[in-house]
Amino acid sequence: MTRFTVNGRPADVDAPPDKPLLWVLREDLGLVGTKYGCGIAACGACTVLVDGQAVRSCVTPVSEVAGKRVSTIEGLAEEGPQAAVAQAVQRAWIEAQVPQCGYCQPGFITAATALLAQNRAPTEAEIEAALTNLCRCGTYPAMRVALRRAVELTQKGQG
Amino acid sequence: MARSLTRRLFLVGSALVGGALVVGGGLAWRRLDGAARHRPATGPGETALTPWFKLTPDNRLVVFVPRQDMGQGILSMLAQIVAEELDFDWARVTAEQAGIHPAYANTIVLADGSPPALRGMMENVAKLIGVQMTGGSTSVRDAWGAMRHAAAAARAVLVEAAAARWQLPASDLAIERGIVRHAASGRAAPLAEFATDAAARALPGSPTPKPPAAWRLLGTSPLRLDIPDKVRGVARFGIDVRPQDTTDTTGGLLYAAVRHIPLVRGELQDVRWPGGKPPPAVLHEVRGRDWLAVIAKSWWEAERALGQAELVAGGASATTVSSARLRAQYRAVLDGEDDPKKLPDLGRPIRRVFNAYGDPDRALAAAAEKARFSADYAVPFLAHVPMEPLNCTARIREGKVDVWVGNQAPTIVQWLAAGVCDVPAEAVTVHTPWLGGGFGRRFDLEVIRQALACAKVTDGRPVQLIWSRREDIQHDAYRPMVAARMTATFDAAGQIALWQHEMVGPSVSKSVMGRMNPMLAGDYPPDVTNAEGAMHLPYRFAHFRCRHAQVDLPVPTGYWRSVGNGYNAFFVETFIDELAQAMKRDPYLLRRELLAEAPRHRAVLEAAVSAARWNAPLPGMGWGRGLALAESFKSIVAMVVDVEVIDQKVHVRRVVSAVDCGRALDPGNVRAQIAGGAIMGLTAALKDAITLEEGRVVQSNLHDYPLMTLAECPHFETVIVNSGAALGGVGEIGVPPAAPALGNAIFAATGKRLREMPFRLT
Ligand code: FES
Ligand code: FES
Repeated sequence: MTRFTVNGRPADVDAPPDKPLLWVLREDLGLVGTKYGCGIAACGACTVLVDGQAVRSCVTPVSEVAGKRVSTIEGLAEEGPQAAVAQAVQRAWIEAQVPQCGYCQPGFITAATALLAQNRAPTEAEIEAALTNLCRCGTYPAMRVALRRAVELTQKGQG
Repeated sequence: MARSLTRRLFLVGSALVGGALVVGGGLAWRRLDGAARHRPATGPGETALTPWFKLTPDNRLVVFVPRQDMGQGILSMLAQIVAEELDFDWARVTAEQAGIHPAYANTIVLADGSPPALRGMMENVAKLIGVQMTGGSTSVRDAWGAMRHAAAAARAVLVEAAAARWQLPASDLAIERGIVRHAASGRAAPLAEFATDAAARALPGSPTPKPPAAWRLLGTSPLRLDIPDKVRGVARFGIDVRPQDTTDTTGGLLYAAVRHIPLVRGELQDVRWPGGKPPPAVLHEVRGRDWLAVIAKSWWEAERALGQAELVAGGASATTVSSARLRAQYRAVLDGEDDPKKLPDLGRPIRRVFNAYGDPDRALAAAAEKARFSADYAVPFLAHVPMEPLNCTARIREGKVDVWVGNQAPTIVQWLAAGVCDVPAEAVTVHTPWLGGGFGRRFDLEVIRQALACAKVTDGRPVQLIWSRREDIQHDAYRPMVAARMTATFDAAGQIALWQHEMVGPSVSKSVMGRMNPMLAGDYPPDVTNAEGAMHLPYRFAHFRCRHAQVDLPVPTGYWRSVGNGYNAFFVETFIDELAQAMKRDPYLLRRELLAEAPRHRAVLEAAVSAARWNAPLPGMGWGRGLALAESFKSIVAMVVDVEVIDQKVHVRRVVSAVDCGRALDPGNVRAQIAGGAIMGLTAALKDAITLEEGRVVQSNLHDYPLMTLAECPHFETVIVNSGAALGGVGEIGVPPAAPALGNAIFAATGKRLREMPFRLT
């Protein structure tokens, strides 16, 4: 039994300790917003926050998050210290109409939220270093616009 | 498989082998006659005036979209077309996936058969079999005929109904944001109030859609309907399907993982488990011709169990093919080899001339050795790699079959499931969730067959079968390896006299159809997709020939975003740059001169060149600028790429494009599609190849089949040229010019001519 919190609620999961958090979220907890893309930490589709840090949940055994706070796309903007930043990121994402197929987007939005929650004025280089996720549809140009806008909104303190 | 299914699939296949595209006429929606009388199910107080939308009592417009959205924005785009004709307020418009019905057939994708003589027949075929299909960048063009005219007809009867109720002349009424108004009296009422009356009236036979000058929504980019859910993470993809009665993990949904034999072709002969039996997590084993699936309560556990299985491959069809061997045989075919003994992997090539004019043979014979110029090019196999790995959820219960799958042709999914489960088509419900990318990958049916095979052994419990990324990369239906030999001759004045494009590669359509139904793997008509982007060039020469040698490969191939246009633009637009270099001409001016008879292409080229400031100096050493122009899917794109090469490493800095797709109905989405397509083309040019060794694919995941990242992504600018010409496609057209423009830029920066993808500078 592994115990942790997901989006502010306690979760008790009866899964093998080496089962990746990604599959625990999707199969055991019914939280399917976090996506599977590669399973080897190469694409970032599975990005979630663990105690506020962006991690790739496909390579994070559930035992590692025992006692920790996990935030997924379902709760990112609802709950936790990053919620206001996540709201700003999501608003900017909608304004810039970033998604195409949308499959990679929860991972990007989560990674962008983690970055902006820790660094309110990231440089272009810092953004590029933090967002190493992959998007096959090529939404990067719109994402750049959204990221600039999200920085603006976070600095103004609006979600 | 039922005989009738075979026949229907054959008709689809014969049509798909075409690939050239035709725009549907204004009366397209009426061609379907009876089918157009279809009305989707409605709730209390709702009215459907056509197959494509309904009005709700609170004056909302719900559009039924019979195409699949894989990121191209088609759901929202088609809703926008309907909303425009009805002058609806965008905030009151929603869209849903339509069910399966012949009324929703994509008549364009089928009617655009290969030889023009067959097109009429294929339109009839499309009507008869009514295939709903998304592909060939046809959705908007098809809807432009059908949905738009149907909406215009509905508008007409709604206004008539209001006029009758108010006893006012219809010509005095106007619709604004979903409200019917009579300006003089100030009377106003929501459109939905007249829906029931309107439904009793006959739709006019030839309605007049609004002229572009009167558009309010089209030509703008309102918030795409799918975007808020995708941003909030609540959009449900195939892999997220949780059939309603299976909210708990113990009683409901089961998961299947699948592993194919290591070879790209061969048979599964045996499965060996350590200790002679599968691990306890495995509830069922299901074997196919070349795959093994295991079912468990968790996909992760199923996948982990598969890791212990040893799949023994063999059989008569087992292949040991390698990319190097294929390359050598391709080269021999270009040199004229026809002897199947010397072409063990390919067999005897079928040689065809797809187009010719002038007198190519004489031009070749007349040209002295030094007045000839020839270069060989090649592209490798490529995988599609949509971000959402292939998956399918199936349930077979009480004679009913449910299939949840991100697909590009629900009608064909329905036929397939009916055939596999031996039930009538009506017993099959196909649910199409959001597609996490398609790019041609989701035409394939194998994952559906596998999921159905699994659902047969679970006593009515639904099964979700997911391919790992490794399976996706190692068992795709690849964009084919193709090699080309480009030849030009010069006349006495030093101008280009002959343009000859010779290439060797497989018929992708034959491979696709052969997998849909092995009974169809026979002789095929010429596959125009092989030569699209090569057989009709906007450039004019005195002598022209486009030749293709079709070979059979032991490797499955498939449609890959932009299909033949993707590699042919690379051959054509690199070669023309080479000629400009040989002729000491500016690559832009030479192209411009050759476009004397193609004013639309010329305008697009000029727009790109001027937006990019073609002649403006580059920032410094190591920079280069390159250009390419390509028509595909009836649209024209010119692209100027700036690169900086530092220590042999290519950095793409800027991509400036101009696009003429007739009219940009949603300019923001056109820009997004051009950038997305270009990124896919640049990624292929810079990074990727699927390599075969000993019958296996070498690459296995995103670490060795990498994709472009945010940091590597260039700055994009896109100019839209609204020529007003017939609508062209948008979803694939960004791909073709990207690789050649990049290669030409690298040449400008380094003097190194890259004739093979992926580009290697060292
Ligand atoms: S699925 Fe975790 S990084 Fe790709
Ligand atoms: S939006 Fe499709 S993969 Fe990123």
